[in-house]
Amino acid sequence: MRNASSWAAEATAVFVKEWRCEFRTRYALNTLALFAFTTLVVVSVSLGPLGVSASQGTAVLPVMLWVILLFSVAAGLPRAFVQEEETGTAMALRLAATPSALFCGKLAYGLTLVLALEALLTPVYAAMMNLQVASPGLLAAVLAAGGYGLAAGSTLVAAIIAQARSKGTLFSVLSFPVLLPLLLLSVELTRLAVAGSPAGVALPQLLLYDASVTVAGLMLFPAVWNP
Amino acid sequence: MVAPTLQGGAFQRTAGYIPHVTSPRLEFTDVRRRFGRLAVLTGVSGAVEPGGMLHVTGANGSGKSTLLRCLSGLLAPDAGKIEYWEQDREDGAPLGMEERRRRVGVVAPDLAFYAELTVAENLAFFARLRRVPPERGLGVLARLELPLDRMAGALSSGMRQRLRWAFALLHSPRLLLLDEPFQNFDAPGERTARELLAEHLAGGGLAVVANPSALDFDHAERLELGR
Repeated sequence: MRNASSWAAEATAVFVKEWRCEFRTRYALNTLALFAFTTLVVVSVSLGPLGVSASQGTAVLPVMLWVILLFSVAAGLPRAFVQEEETGTAMALRLAATPSALFCGKLAYGLTLVLALEALLTPVYAAMMNLQVASPGLLAAVLAAGGYGLAAGSTLVAAIIAQARSKGTLFSVLSFPVLLPLLLLSVELTRLAVAGSPAGVALPQLLLYDASVTVAGLMLFPAVWNP
Repeated sequence: MVAPTLQGGAFQRTAGYIPHVTSPRLEFTDVRRRFGRLAVLTGVSGAVEPGGMLHVTGANGSGKSTLLRCLSGLLAPDAGKIEYWEQDREDGAPLGMEERRRRVGVVAPDLAFYAELTVAENLAFFARLRRVPPERGLGVLARLELPLDRMAGALSSGMRQRLRWAFALLHSPRLLLLDEPFQNFDAPGERTARELLAEHLAGGGLAVVANPSALDFDHAERLELGR
């Protein structure tokens, strides 16, 4: 019990440190906000409410929402471990932190960042694109589960690429197989939420994906983080 | 091996340092490490007993830092055996690499801290990860005369070296691995660091020190690494 609380205290310390550093540099916040805003404007100008019919909108708009989320996250989250390597703080972390607590602390930071982005972006996107959502509850569940998957997958890939030379390229290459199932499921579920159809097996599959990535992350992270 | 001359009581009075009560031991045999085609360590052996210090010398590129990274568990050797015992383990077995990495105290030139956090915030963060009260590090910091409220990014090279010492002693390690531990210090800083090292050894701790110049400690064994 005491070990569990110490582990949780470690993960919390990493989470608090991440946000404290983020509030002082605003690197990820600015990157995510700028990328989200730019892609949102591009999509809304190209596929505005007058340019897409209702039936086309149901097919296209959920895809564009997840494309915006994916690229915004990809611009900000890979820094999670890369910055530790580049600034030399990784050595102190390796000496002091329990790998699983470090992974979970970083994951919690990434998750809050993604959820905040979704909370700000989705209503604006829906308003600008005149996107009518028949099942807002399902959409919220998809955004939560999909956001968790994005954060967990990105955190794991960020840890893998941190010690590599071509970090940007490697992130894209490794993210593709990791995040593709998540995106396919999230897009499909968002379509169902917009159309008001039941979620079916897609939502349990998305939750299973989240659990799998978390378990894989906890198992792989000590090996990719430590020599 | 006999402990150096300085007494540990002074440290205990001024910094609340908890003296060692168990007998650690470090042995490494035929340690080898290559980087690509370059063989840096080609069968290095040594041992350190409680209160003893191993002074590793050698020209630039002879592998001093690599040896210390291997001993700390930050780098896995290609071959050879590194065994570190702490007597509080019930089964009497040497610590695993992961546990060794978290128990040792390390001072190294490439050990960096979060530039966006103050000295006190950095130490508090690592104290939480080390699962020790932050007051312990603050005691050492007071002794090293380091300003708590200064951002780590604004520290001079000498001040950064003091912070490295505070980080290394934060969890009262029994094994100190010191790579060029007196570099960038002014005269009072170096004197304090030498006192801290002597008190650590007097308390039954052990140390491996990579330093190009002579160390005026009694009974330090010397390990010369060839290029």
